[in-house]
Amino acid sequence: MSKLHSSMSDKKIGEHPLVEITATVNGRMVSRSVPNHYRLIDFVREELHLTGNKEGCGAGECGTCSMFVDGVLVKSCLMPVQKIMNATVETVDDLDRDAGRTVLQQAFHKCGSSQCGYCIPGMVMAATSLLRKMPNPDREQIKEGLGGNICRCTGYQKIIDAVELARDVINKKIPDSSLEENLLEPVMGARTPRLDAPGKVTGSVKYAADMVLPNMLHMSVLRSPHAYAKIVSIDASAALVIPGVEVVLTSADVPGIDNFGVFIEDQPIMARDYVRYTGEAVAAVAAETLDLAIAATKLIKVEYEVLDGVFDPHLAIKDGAPQLHDFAKNNITKHTKIRKGDVEEGFKQADLIVEETYQTAKIEHAYLEPEAGLAYVESDGCVTVHSPSQNITHHRHALAKILGRPINKVRMIMSTVGGGFGGKEDMIYQGMLALAAIKSRRPVRYVFTREESFIASAKRHPFSIQYKMGLKKNGKIVATKMVMISDGGAYAMSTPGVMNKSAILGPGPYQLENVWVDAIGVYTNNTPSGAMRAFGAFQSEFATEAHLDLCAEKLKMDPIQLRMMNLMRDGATTHTRQKIDRVLAVDCLNAVVDLAGWDQGAPNRHGSGKESRKDIGQSGIRQSCTLGTHLKQGEKV
Amino acid sequence: MLTYDRYVVASSLAEVFDILDAHPASRILAGATDILPWARYGRAGDVHLASVIDISKIPEFKYIRQSGDDLSFGAMTTIADFQNNAILREHAPVLAQCAVWFADDQIREQATVGGNVVNASPAGDSQPALLALNASVKLIRRENGNILERSIPLGEFIHGPGKTAMLHKELVLGFECDSMRACGSAYEKVGHRRSLVISTVCLAVIAKAASDKHSLADIRIGIGAVGPVPKRLVDLEKALIGKEITSELVHQIAEQASEFVNSRSRHEYRREVLVNFVERGIISAINQSGITVVRFGEEQIYV
Amino acid sequence: MKKRGRGVACGWYGIARTAAMDRAAVWVELDDGGTVKIATGVTEIGEGILTGLCQIAAHEMGVRPDDIVLADNDTARVPEAAHAGATRMTYMIGNAVAIGCREAMFKFKKAMGDYWGVDPNSIHAENREVWVENSPTMKMSMAEATHHLKKDKGIVIVGSGLFTSAHTPLNPDNGEATPWQSYVFGAQIAEVEVDLDTGEVQVLGVWAAHDVGKVVNPQQVEGQIEGGIVMGVGHALMEEYTQHQGQVTTPGFAKYILPTTLDIPNIHSVLLTEPDPKTPLGVKGIGEPCITPTAPAIINAIYDAVGVRITSLPATPEKVLAGILKQKRVIKPKVEQEEFVTAE
Repeated sequence: MSKLHSSMSDKKIGEHPLVEITATVNGRMVSRSVPNHYRLIDFVREELHLTGNKEGCGAGECGTCSMFVDGVLVKSCLMPVQKIMNATVETVDDLDRDAGRTVLQQAFHKCGSSQCGYCIPGMVMAATSLLRKMPNPDREQIKEGLGGNICRCTGYQKIIDAVELARDVINKKIPDSSLEENLLEPVMGARTPRLDAPGKVTGSVKYAADMVLPNMLHMSVLRSPHAYAKIVSIDASAALVIPGVEVVLTSADVPGIDNFGVFIEDQPIMARDYVRYTGEAVAAVAAETLDLAIAATKLIKVEYEVLDGVFDPHLAIKDGAPQLHDFAKNNITKHTKIRKGDVEEGFKQADLIVEETYQTAKIEHAYLEPEAGLAYVESDGCVTVHSPSQNITHHRHALAKILGRPINKVRMIMSTVGGGFGGKEDMIYQGMLALAAIKSRRPVRYVFTREESFIASAKRHPFSIQYKMGLKKNGKIVATKMVMISDGGAYAMSTPGVMNKSAILGPGPYQLENVWVDAIGVYTNNTPSGAMRAFGAFQSEFATEAHLDLCAEKLKMDPIQLRMMNLMRDGATTHTRQKIDRVLAVDCLNAVVDLAGWDQGAPNRHGSGKESRKDIGQSGIRQSCTLGTHLKQGEKV
Repeated sequence: MLTYDRYVVASSLAEVFDILDAHPASRILAGATDILPWARYGRAGDVHLASVIDISKIPEFKYIRQSGDDLSFGAMTTIADFQNNAILREHAPVLAQCAVWFADDQIREQATVGGNVVNASPAGDSQPALLALNASVKLIRRENGNILERSIPLGEFIHGPGKTAMLHKELVLGFECDSMRACGSAYEKVGHRRSLVISTVCLAVIAKAASDKHSLADIRIGIGAVGPVPKRLVDLEKALIGKEITSELVHQIAEQASEFVNSRSRHEYRREVLVNFVERGIISAINQSGITVVRFGEEQIYV
Repeated sequence: MKKRGRGVACGWYGIARTAAMDRAAVWVELDDGGTVKIATGVTEIGEGILTGLCQIAAHEMGVRPDDIVLADNDTARVPEAAHAGATRMTYMIGNAVAIGCREAMFKFKKAMGDYWGVDPNSIHAENREVWVENSPTMKMSMAEATHHLKKDKGIVIVGSGLFTSAHTPLNPDNGEATPWQSYVFGAQIAEVEVDLDTGEVQVLGVWAAHDVGKVVNPQQVEGQIEGGIVMGVGHALMEEYTQHQGQVTTPGFAKYILPTTLDIPNIHSVLLTEPDPKTPLGVKGIGEPCITPTAPAIINAIYDAVGVRITSLPATPEKVLAGILKQKRVIKPKVEQEEFVTAE
């Protein structure tokens, strides 16, 4: 969708006017000619190959691209390259000026501040900027200084700790040795600083999008604009005639058995006959430059017959709803059942029955590294895909079958992953990459934009949970019934596993005699739902723990007492009839109460006129965040 | 993705007008912090522009001046300048209070007040503060070789989402507003988290105590994100001037703010929050101005 | 006006693949310089397995974590260790590494025992040194020992390890199964502050207790807990991926809201470290168990603070304020018959 000026027709497709940029980058003068639409981040990464800073989102929201221009920290994905003409740029790549690591970088290493590492270059830059402007910030000021940088792995605590440590070393409040590892500790149980941290705090470790190979092509993917449609025809002729466009792929090019899936192999590497969700890959282009690949993608003509989709699992499950996959009657991907004891009998014994419905949302993994990969064919004919895959074993199996090759002629290498959380378990792009490498006989790289990552990759399943619990007056649970329906989206991905886990763990760590659970995953024309950290259990246990609180309120009971009444003990039998010899559930509850303190009583008791809780507001909590408190002190930010 | 046939970093005003004459549809670019996120999937998609004029290096747009009761600053004044510039801190502290809620440190250095105003987003964070300062927009254009200036009050400059009173080939030179030094001020904003977030409701209040220290000589209330355009709550302001300030008075006046919510979504929420923000903001600004008043129903004073 | 409250939630989670056999294999070599080469499916996705495995190997092999070289995870170069997920890495791969190292050390000690003429059980290796118990003379560095064995004896010390976790599939009618060998239990308490003017919820503190088994690296375990809890805060208060008729209405970070530094609670954790009895190392895991109690603890704390029960995540300011208003109307019936806005 581009608005073309009339003069564009004179230019070659995919070519852009060039601009000559002269600047000083990391102390070295550079003079380069680049496409005039480049932003500073493109100039630094693609032209100068300084890949420390990243493009996590391209929209100024994540901070991975933060770098200094004339001493001011900016988000380089929001800066047209023309703005750095004759300016001085400082990226993370040479922050230490070849002196090893800066104090801040050493502090990040010591404190365990880096996990996947993708946000860390930006964080290091933001922290560097903060300490340059404000040499003695307090913890609240540090938080505000880092407020424009997102981290998805660490929860920020150790990043903030590192800035405090660096501040104190720089201000000579503590000795330099505070940055060193304690080598006297025995190794097991030691706070060994992460061995991959040095590469991450300096930005020197390469992720897939940072990699280049000689003679490399760039991939762009055409994705479906429709949620549900029949593909009538695909005409790539206008794209194929352009010099520099080496390969255009559709499902017709797949040589083997074209389907993959962690549990159910229902997903083709590019849409075959039907598109089932907005954003599904339909065709892929590999070309000399990314601009060319993107332009060529727009020239592919796809004729769709748009169909009425179904977006609510409660509707998809009914007779008459569009049947999205031949093999799944009523669009049911997976129905897991737990039946223990007799819940109806249990409800009859109950003094109190509490019913409620809970909903959890569809969640995005939001790893800071958008998907990316590099594929090439080796001289022995082995096709290699280098990508941040969470399951290369499984992907190799799938790819070998899809490409119709012996398994040892397919090689999957796992690149450093910039966050996964389950979202990089599905083989949603490696097939296209491998095929493009085979057909072009050149290396091919594909880097997702953040928006592509959002719409094309797996999401956490949203759950709708109907809860019914029967309890005795003393709080003993006598029956638990959970009926759960989940939107599995267009393809199965991890839906069967999610239904299983949600059902097995859902009723919680409680000794229950009568349990009934249904976990039903349903196909719809939404973005596929797949694996995400604590899949299924997050959703079902949420309902159980919220429901117990509701029951505690109705029983006018302390919610901890209610749980103590029901938690499993050693030798418990689970809802799947497994005996667990050693159960530390009560120990954990006691431990957290000791740690936090707890004033006993029913929830919201002050709402019903009783005394307020006494455990609120003690040390250990943070202050309530009020932005700009430093303004009142007259400090410059 | 944003692409262009020509992108020129102009070095003078004359150059800007020359390019505008040659390419009348040229897009003026200041900080680029609005346009680059906009030209992406899910919003405008890929956008191709014939001509872009980057005005960030032109000295005429970069000034901050104060003289007596008048304050003025150029279109290229950044949101970071709101927090860091000594003149603005002293004479328009509400701008600094607005700035801490505006995006994050990095974007504040890149984003300009001119860009924020011309973008005219209903959720624009700077507009309520500028309205409270009685800001006028100073515009320049070139006709027959002559530079012509005109000034429009900000409230009349913004017509609707993305729409302003700017003429063809006209540029925002800067802003003129009142110096409000030694006044109390407050800025309130709510979104879905505490940093780098789009406003659901935003508000700025500036209050000046009368010499009797019981009533107000002046009060300005600017609201944003609750309708297609930002507004001044002029009627509420009038109702507060010259009267003995009490908790009850402020509470009553604040209740009337709900009728000014004109949003297409989350209407009920915005009505409730706006009333609360008006009350909270007024109390805070008034306390800072030297009149002590507690919020209705509460016991502690807060500034 | 702000009100505060507290909520509690318990949780449990199974370790490694659900209801299916799980496996991980490893090759180990005692290499030149007393370094160690480990080849396995190391799947470092940020949780710290790379460092953890190096600590385990260093401990088993008598060297330091810096001495360990871990091969890249490459289907053409290393044995299979399956996937990065299901909180299985320390448990499956850690144990496999320990087993592989123990096999290598068994061979090493036997060879050194032959060399020194002593019972292999009297030989110890730690911190880059190998020595015989109670002997002042029979000791050398691991580097020297490796060199001697290779050069003089033609022995390259290699070992392999396999760890299997025996799980059974679910009975399709009633779910009966042994889905996992090991479970991690946990409990969290959250303290929140609710702004009655806006419905905003700030999470001020979260306390967590999890039974993680033996701990290889407490800094990394804390890192997982802190990251998991903040992810839980996001799930509880601000994250929601939405589509309208299949079109995505939250296609980027401007609309899909993630927690920033200004949204995070102070986090305190206590680790219960009773070793897991079913595995050589006694380790369990933490990556996923730490995220399940957070959201309900926050939701329960909101109820405690303002009497509003949120049953649909996320608890956005709009939903919380609507709940507060609904209460007010119940208490003081007002004339206006307005409709609430439910979250979009």
